[in-house]
This record gives sequence, structure tokens and C-alpha cells, in this order.
Amino acid sequence: MDNYRPAPGTPLEELETPCLVVDLDAVENNYRAVADTYRGKVCQMRQHTKNIKSPTLARMQIRIGGAHDGVCTAKLSEAEVMVEHGITDVLIPNQVVTADKIARLCALQRQGDVKVCVDSRENVEDLSEIAESHGVKIGVLIEVDTSMGRAGVRSVDAGVELAKLAESLPGVDFRGVMSHQHLDDYVDNESRVLRAREYVERCVVVKHAIEAEGIAVEVVSSGETFSYDAAADVEGVTEVEGGTYALMGTSYDYMEEFQVANKVLSTIVSTPEPGVAVCDAGTRALSQPGGPFSVEGMPGVTVETLHDDHAVLRSDGGSDFEVGQQVLLLPWYQDMLVNRWDIYVAVRDGVVEEVWDIPARGCAQ
Amino acid sequence: MERPIFKPVGTPVDELDTPSLVVDLDVLAANIATVHGAFTGTARLRPRVDAHCTPAIAHKQIAAGGTVGGIAVATLAQAELFAQAGFGDILVANLIVTRSKIARLASLARDAVVTVAVDSERNVRDLSAAATSSNATIRAVVAVSTASGRFGAQPGDAAARIARAVVDADGVELAGLMASEEPVLEEDADASAAKTRERVAPLLDTRARIESDGIAVDAVVAGGSSNYEAAAATDGITEVPAGRYALMDAQLAPYLPQLGHAARVNSVVTGRPEEGLAITDGGRKAIGSDTGDPLVDVPGATVKGLSAEHGSIILDSVQPNLKDRIWFTPYDSAECVNLHDYMHVVRDGRLEAVWEIPARGRYR
Repeated sequence: MDNYRPAPGTPLEELETPCLVVDLDAVENNYRAVADTYRGKVCQMRQHTKNIKSPTLARMQIRIGGAHDGVCTAKLSEAEVMVEHGITDVLIPNQVVTADKIARLCALQRQGDVKVCVDSRENVEDLSEIAESHGVKIGVLIEVDTSMGRAGVRSVDAGVELAKLAESLPGVDFRGVMSHQHLDDYVDNESRVLRAREYVERCVVVKHAIEAEGIAVEVVSSGETFSYDAAADVEGVTEVEGGTYALMGTSYDYMEEFQVANKVLSTIVSTPEPGVAVCDAGTRALSQPGGPFSVEGMPGVTVETLHDDHAVLRSDGGSDFEVGQQVLLLPWYQDMLVNRWDIYVAVRDGVVEEVWDIPARGCAQ
Repeated sequence: MERPIFKPVGTPVDELDTPSLVVDLDVLAANIATVHGAFTGTARLRPRVDAHCTPAIAHKQIAAGGTVGGIAVATLAQAELFAQAGFGDILVANLIVTRSKIARLASLARDAVVTVAVDSERNVRDLSAAATSSNATIRAVVAVSTASGRFGAQPGDAAARIARAVVDADGVELAGLMASEEPVLEEDADASAAKTRERVAPLLDTRARIESDGIAVDAVVAGGSSNYEAAAATDGITEVPAGRYALMDAQLAPYLPQLGHAARVNSVVTGRPEEGLAITDGGRKAIGSDTGDPLVDVPGATVKGLSAEHGSIILDSVQPNLKDRIWFTPYDSAECVNLHDYMHVVRDGRLEAVWEIPARGRYR
């Protein structure tokens, strides 16, 4: 475990590297962009903590506005971290299926309002039976597959049948419908909005079909970073599960209202050839997210290769490298990156302002 | 920090919380015995403990014999951790260039035999100054680049100049030469031996060049898990820094059929949304797939892909049910270990202990 805690006031140049830093101006900008978009709307943000792993950052969006007083988490153990840190309204947009974990979910339900998503009859029946034996009620939402081909019911009818089942059983409390969306490629802004609406509306169709059976649907939880604005304008959507927008990655560069707030400060340790530098962060510290890291403020410099503990930078001739020089590496996608780190060093104007633990790091269970 | 449900010792392995990193002690012991047993000649193993980040495993490696009596790590923070865990001879197989880290290295060198890689004369001067003022001795291996885009000096005169600088400076001592290289990935033993010889040849030429100046070069550090047998038998190599052989993984399996998979990640099926598709609770954050997808133990099944929190498995004739267990063998066990804070250690199908992974995440 990493236990590095630089003192507030330390300049970037004096930090031990590699170091995951959060640019406070950038993250505050991102949270304000969401607050501005959702002002006066029914739909509010329910921030996904898989991308931040931090109750401190989760609460920052709640404080700045545009958000429900709660979060969603990828896993049960991540939900426990949030509840322990005082964020008690938690949706787990995922399936909790084993008896062990459902019992643990029931225990957590006594501490807060915890909801989970379902996509099979067997899971609803297991949740009902175990929750009833624990004397609690678990909130359930039907997960609808709208574009991912992963979890979620594959038809409107299947969603309606599950809602009827949940409505009929003790120990579970039917609350609504939920869907994740996915863009295969990162396209222009106009088609982003069109595709976002199309996917999110597929989830709303299930809501209407359930209501047609006389069952009230309180929550429609859908949308994420790429669709956060479009989803809020779809009638019926009550919350958006945005996660990436908080700290951002360069693959979302087309969303100009957001800035990349998580960066890895790294030091060049070798300049083995002209125009080539080796710096002290590799796949262990960075992850390999499917697109290249980029280097802030150094046009013409690319991250050519990642080794286990090093990145290789190449310059097209415009930049000279020097051993000891620091660079800031920006992720293409940030989810896996944050999960590698125990500590955020929060900086403003190049100076450390705060140091935060990342207590939900590694919470894969 | 990871938060598995901890089960009592003796719990059957199929009842452990998921997804968890599960290490089979018998397979681990057999891997260590096989690999360490190959080091009967001049070359010795120096276990790269950054592959598992776990002192409990490192102690077993040293106890198994065939080693130089010391370990290798990738970062200074790992070296500090393993020094606390009782290791007195540590090679930091990396460059340490900043003032604050060099000060930490010098401090560590007062307590343990510490060796670090160097590839520039300026770095040698900085190490010398810090070691002298700390009244410590830092041992240095000159890193020799054998591939483009790796750190290290060019073989021959450039590396020899740095070796001379080490010899001439106070507070630093020349330990030898270290290859800065890509792994040798050859399934055929002869091809692996030939490639290993080809890789080490520039180091041996450099050694001869340095020794012709009357400077002794003790260590030639080269090779790794994938070619440990070839490296152990290659004239001139004195130390093989290898680590992933202990836990093994899917990437190394074609090159090391004599070893078993000691590290696996358990998972349960959380969804069967379509015919022929299983969704699992183990994804990239629990198994890792930076450099390749894991293997899965369902006959005929293939890994469609890992997303951050899920695995998607395309099934063949065997169709697991909701809540059934699936086991993944990571592509790179070192990546997988670095995602976890605990390893669940099992023997004969039952939980024997839960070990912390204290060096995970120690990148600086």
C-alpha cells in the first residue's frame, strides 16, 4: 500500500513520482458543469463512484449541486465504503447474486437506503427470501440492456415480468428501471446526442410498459458521461449515472465543458536516444486503458510504449528531454487508472492543497 | 482497500468471496522448487519480488536456494518495504535520479546491501554525493540497453565510461552490468538459448572492454522467467532477475509448460442474459487485462472481453448457471497481484491463510 502524504503547500516539482494528482480547478469545473446542466430539472446526477473511489469527491458534486443526495457504486464493497463515509443513499447498478453477498447487502440496508439491479427471476427470488429472513426490504430496479450486450433484460416483456415478480414478493421493493449505455466509437457531438437519446429511450419504454400493468415506477436511472445532457432531456429519466466526467479522460475531448482533472506526474529517468525519454510510470501505475496516454503541454510528444514500470516518450523534434524533468500524463480513459492508487494528491496552481485517501480502491467484491 | 468477506481457515475454496486472488501453496512450492533447482551452476537467481509484492513469498524463494541471497525490485518504495520485511540484499532494477529519492536510497543503503542501476555519469555523481554525505555505500550496476526504447547505456565504450565513473567515485561501488531488455519469448529450447546468448553478447563484450582496463566486473544480470533455463545455462550470466515464475500466468504458460498456475481469480456468474453468454463479477479491476485477456476454466468457453467490473464469457457446450463459479488465470500475474490487497492462500482445496500484499501500489 502506498502511504505517501506530502504536506499542503508542497509544489509539484517536489513531489515524489509517479504521483496521481487531481487538478482541483478542473474537477470543480466538471462538477459545476453538471450542476449548471441539471439546475431546475427533474433529472439529477447520481455520481458513479467506480470512477473516483472517493467519498470526498462524491460529496463534492452533492455540495456543488445538480445531484441527488446519493451515489451509485459498481460493487457491494464499494457501497459499504460510501455508507461508512455517510453517503447512505446508494444504488448498485449491478447484480448481487450469492447468498453471502445478499446477506451482506441486507446488513448494509440497515445502515442506509441501498438499492440493487436485477435481470433474472432467480436473483429476485433469492433477494426476496434472504432479505425477508433478515427482516429488511431491498430496493430493486430492473436492469435493461440498451446497447452494451452485457447484463440486463433483453426485451420489454422480460422487464415487465421481472417487475411484476418483484412487486409480488416480500423482502424486495420494486423501485424502477436502470440501463447502462455504450458508444462503440467516439463520434461527433451531434450523433452523440442522437445515439444517447435513442439508447436511453429504450429504457424509458420499459418504464411505460411496467406502468401499463398498474405498477408505479419511481426511478429511471440511465445515462452516463457521454449522454448526461441528452438523458436529462428525455421525459421520465430521474437520474444519470455519470462517472467519468468527474476526472475525465482524453477520449472525451469532444465534450468541451469538461477538463481532464486526473493526471499522473512522472519524472524522466533516462534519455537513451535523441528525442526519446523513459519516465518512471508504466502499466502498473497507469493501467493500459485501450487508448494512449498523452503528455500535457508538450505538443509533438507522444507516449510511444508502456512497459511495466516505465513509459517511453518520443518527440517529433520540437522538445528536448532532460533527466529529472517532470511530465504530466493524461489518461485516455481513467477508470482503471484511479483503481491503481491509494492516494490522491489534490493540487491547485501547481501546489498541493490536500491529500485524500482513495478508500474504495480495490473494492472489486 | 479491497474488502473481501474473510472466511475461516479450512473453508473450501469454492466458498471464498469473489472476485478474489487465490494462490495455491502446493503449486507455488512446486514452481519455486522447479525453477530454483535449475540454478546449480555459476548463474544464480535473484527473485524479482515486484512480481508478487509479498514478503511471505519472497522468503520462500530465498529459502529454496539457488539464489544470490538477495532480491530485485522495480521501485524504491518496494525496496523500502522489503528491507523492513527482513531482506538485506536488494537490487533496485531501475534508475533513481531525483535528489529526494537518491537521499532515500542512500539512507536505505546504510541498513542493507543496496544495488541500483545507472546509465549516465551525472547519475553516478549524484549517487556518489548522497552516499558520501550519508556515510553509505551504494552498489551500482551499469544498465546496458539491448533494445530501442529501453533505458540503459549503449554497450561498449559508453557503458565502459560509466563503469569507470562508478569506480572513480566515492561512496559507490561497481557491482557489474545489467541488461535492460525485453523478455525472450521462444517456445523452443534451442531458440530460447540462442536468443538469450545473442542478448547477453553485448554485455559480455562490454565486460571484456571494462576488464581490459583492470576493473573487475562481478555481476552480469540478465534473463527472466520466460527464459530462466537458458539464462541459467548461458556462460557469462551470473544473476537472473526473474519473478513471475512463482505465481505463473497465461502469458508465460507456452514457454514454461513445466510450471503450474498458482495464482487464479475466482468469480461467480452474475448473469446469463442470453443463450451462450455468461456475465461474471470478475473484470479488469480484479483480474487485469493490460496486455492480454485471461484464460477461463469453462471447457470450450472463451473470454469475449473484460470490462472494468465484469467479464463476458462466450460459452460452448458447458453452460454454467447463475451463481456458478468460474476461475480465471490472469494473463500477467504481476498486474493481477497489483490490483489486490490480499491473497487467499489455499492448500488441498481449503483456505490456509490470507496474506497481505504490502508492496502493491508502491510505485515511488
